[in-house]
Amino acid sequence: MRRPDLLVVAGASADRRASASRIAWIAAAAIIVLVLTVQPFSNSDVWWHLALGRLITTSGIPAHEPFSFLPAAHAWVGQQWLYEVPLAGLVGAGGAGLASLVMGLAAVAAVVLAALSIPRSSRVGGPWLAVAMVITGVALNSVVGVTSAVISVLGVAIVLFVITRWRDGQTPAIWGLPVLFLVWANMDAGFAAGLLILLAALLLMPRADASRRRQLALVLGISAVAVLANPVGPGIYASVLSGVFNPGVAQSLAGFGTPDFHQWWARLFEAEVVLAIALWTVSGGPDRFSAITGVGLLIATLYAQENLGLLAVFMTPQLAIHGSRAWARHVTPRLQRRSGTSARHLHPAATTAALLALTAAMLVALVPRVSASAAASYQASTYPEAAATFAGDQFPGQRIYTIDTWGGYLAYRFPAGRIVFLYDEPAVFGSNALALYQDIDQLVPSWVHVLATEDIHHAILPAEARETAALHVLGWTVNCYDPTSKSLVMSSPPSGTTPPLTGLAIPPPGVPGC
Amino acid sequence: MTSVAAEAVHEERSRFRARLDSWTSPSGLFIAAVLVIIALPVTRTIQDPDFWWHLRAGQLILQHGGLLGNDPFTYTVANHHWTMHEWLNEVLFAVEFAIGGLGLIVLVLSAVTWLGLFAIMQKARLRNPGRGVLGLGMLIAVVAGFPIWGPRVQMITFAFSALTLFLVERYMVRGGKAMWVLVPLFVLWSNLHGEFVIGLGFMALILVAEVVGGRLHMPDPAQRSRLLPLLYLLIACTAVSMINLNGPTILFYAAGTQASAAQQSLIEEWFSPSFHDWEVLVYGAMMLSLAMLIVFNRRIRARDVALVLVTTALSLQSARHIELFVAASTPVFIDQLALATPRMRAALGRLRPGPARAPARTRVQPPLLFRLTACAMVMAGLGGVYIAWLVPKMQLQPYSLAYAEEFPVCAAQWLAAAPAPLRIFNQYGEGGYLAYELSSHGDKVFIFGDAALMGDQMLETYASAETVAPGWDSIIRRFGTDIVLYDINTPLTDVLDHAADWTKVYQDGLSVAFVPTDKLSSVKLPPVPHWAPGSVCARQLKATSNTGAQNQ
Repeated sequence: MRRPDLLVVAGASADRRASASRIAWIAAAAIIVLVLTVQPFSNSDVWWHLALGRLITTSGIPAHEPFSFLPAAHAWVGQQWLYEVPLAGLVGAGGAGLASLVMGLAAVAAVVLAALSIPRSSRVGGPWLAVAMVITGVALNSVVGVTSAVISVLGVAIVLFVITRWRDGQTPAIWGLPVLFLVWANMDAGFAAGLLILLAALLLMPRADASRRRQLALVLGISAVAVLANPVGPGIYASVLSGVFNPGVAQSLAGFGTPDFHQWWARLFEAEVVLAIALWTVSGGPDRFSAITGVGLLIATLYAQENLGLLAVFMTPQLAIHGSRAWARHVTPRLQRRSGTSARHLHPAATTAALLALTAAMLVALVPRVSASAAASYQASTYPEAAATFAGDQFPGQRIYTIDTWGGYLAYRFPAGRIVFLYDEPAVFGSNALALYQDIDQLVPSWVHVLATEDIHHAILPAEARETAALHVLGWTVNCYDPTSKSLVMSSPPSGTTPPLTGLAIPPPGVPGC
Repeated sequence: MTSVAAEAVHEERSRFRARLDSWTSPSGLFIAAVLVIIALPVTRTIQDPDFWWHLRAGQLILQHGGLLGNDPFTYTVANHHWTMHEWLNEVLFAVEFAIGGLGLIVLVLSAVTWLGLFAIMQKARLRNPGRGVLGLGMLIAVVAGFPIWGPRVQMITFAFSALTLFLVERYMVRGGKAMWVLVPLFVLWSNLHGEFVIGLGFMALILVAEVVGGRLHMPDPAQRSRLLPLLYLLIACTAVSMINLNGPTILFYAAGTQASAAQQSLIEEWFSPSFHDWEVLVYGAMMLSLAMLIVFNRRIRARDVALVLVTTALSLQSARHIELFVAASTPVFIDQLALATPRMRAALGRLRPGPARAPARTRVQPPLLFRLTACAMVMAGLGGVYIAWLVPKMQLQPYSLAYAEEFPVCAAQWLAAAPAPLRIFNQYGEGGYLAYELSSHGDKVFIFGDAALMGDQMLETYASAETVAPGWDSIIRRFGTDIVLYDINTPLTDVLDHAADWTKVYQDGLSVAFVPTDKLSSVKLPPVPHWAPGSVCARQLKATSNTGAQNQ
């Protein structure tokens, strides 16, 4: 018969090994997620945020829209200044690569925090956490990158983590939430989702006693007030609501539209939701908070695909908890009946070696992506870099038409002089400015009139855009063609010029490079 | 009369009386009302732009006495072989049109859709839900399917899918031989619409789900002994589907459409549903409610899981597949709703603690005559509403104002007077109408709605011209186009309006026509008509002058 103190020592050792194994699984998953979340400047909004960040650094938050020659319908909101200023600082300090890396790390932090948002009583094993994290990382791949949406993904993860700990009895952390909301509301409008999750927690968690519920209610109230400390002030809630329910926003911003289920990432989102529902069903069902918050976020994602990140983060602990429960309920008993063995943990040396190998592989994959040359190459092929340089040299200070997704880049390149037409901030520009843009973009009958009244004589356009062919019909000439980004610079013809009788060939013959 | 015979008569009378009591009860009346109400949204005017070329194809098949072989309508892909997977339906359209005009086609297709809904209800009834739940579920389903209802060929597949699922489920639950009716039905279906493979897919899915579900010990599996006959049925239906004028290749036809990237990305009905559109909100709500009910009940059959998953995935991919979601998932929705109802009632009861339960009161039914009269009055009222809804839709003719606002009715009348056949560059959704009206005149269109016949390359080429991509002009010219007939206020017509080498030759309230300036003398066009005041085209011009083009 063994001595009791030896049993205690053996138990403690097993706990330590289980804990180390769990950490190793989480670390490995985090490394994989990092590879998925470090991305170049694929979201075109980054450019006008950068331009604003630089402007705010030198001149403070502008009161009116600062880059476009169109009259904006609404005063400049400036709500995201705390995202824009550090972003500009990061790019100034280490280039686009550093910004990509930092935002990628923020997304990883969100995934890790979400994975840890699991009640201690659930005893979820490392493999389940890792699987849930990797699924979330893959789902996040399409919505993260250098975008303020990452801030909201991280914010939601922090809220979930704090709520879980609060439910576990660790109450002090929730007093940090008002500070979180204060910062969050100055970085991204997604703070509203965090407040709603907090409200759901207050209303739907039955086990908390009355004093703790009062505490949470107080935290919610203080947080709701804290967000008012913002350049927009009390108007911030109205600003968020108008952004969500403005049909013009949904029409002009892909992120506010329903997911296109012909895309692989939307299918992935669908698969993740189906998996979560299946696991909820076979594992005994979710609690009320998880069920209602999950459905709410699912509706939000079907309404606006940019909410996918919030849903993915919320689903991380759900997949881990309910996957683990379903496994324990349906698979483990059968395995034990067959082999009679229990769970095993990897040897520490093997774990360390595997982690090192994974880290090395991650570095090999990641370092080239965050290098200055990679960022420059991506920028030159995705945005009209050469065309903007040409237009800046040849037509300084003159108004330029471009498509909305390139408007932000032109604002970054030409922050002074108000020569940009419009970029993706429809809530500020308002419906009249949007209509003017759509007149040209959709070639509505008044499009030629808009060009004339807005005194637009130059354009930087993708070679395959409909505006390119339409302007050619009007007699506009191609000044230069950039084969790297497949863009061109066009200018209106001198008056009295006869319009061409032949179509436009791409690449246009005899036209110099930009 | 012997006592045994008298007893039998008495028993028969009692059964009849019980049935009469049941159907004249409030719940019975509710179901009867639901059956009438669900006929309203499925009865519409013809809005499917493909309808017109189907009708014309049917007329041509009857004229030729066989399938057409190659495309008879376009000047661009006239050498493409035409797999006429809907030939029988097209012939039926032509026959119905000859007998009763468009009205009869509207009536028949509305009835077919209603029969599909009836089959869904019958399938749901196999699991004995309460009538309230059954009626409510059907009403939700019919509103969820709102974006896709209407007289169109696709409704054949909807109805046959619902019928297939009903007969297979009936067999899985009760056994019997009724499911073998599907064998002749598949001969019919495979000649009516190429999507009959969906029915085969549903059967295969149910088989696989039952086998896998059995291994996973999922609830309420079908008897194992019933799976083999179902497999035989699947094989038989697959085999008889090849009894088709197109031969065995018809089995792979639908797969080509589903796999076509061009069709999926360019044709609106293949787009994912947008939840900013109010029409699909009920579909979205039904889908989410079903998911929540499944989680709440935690009891679902393997075959139901498979059907819900597959039809949800298909309907999220393309709005046109919402019909499949309605056909396959509605009975599951009703079943889950019925399972949840007692628990929800109990939960609500706990939320509202009242005084101790009062003793149950006996509900006294009014006299039978009163109930029969009340039912007859209600049903007559609803029937009257339905007839008032149906008749105006049946009275519309191809040249009615309602169609003239949607299709180039007036422009086609103008072009029909041209002295020589023309090659018309047209809008994708209007090629069918132009083919219907002008193919007998010898005119050819650039494109029409049989996307598989057009091929991905032609669809991409057309899309380049439609979106005014660089090279649009050469695309239109290189096929020898005589005239461009397009909706007003579209990018292409707005550019043509400013193009120096195109001349506007016609405009009405919906359409505008341009001719290459260098062809102006060689293309023989009729004089621009002056529509008589009060005529359909004069009214169309007035009605649409401020609204612009609708039919893109």
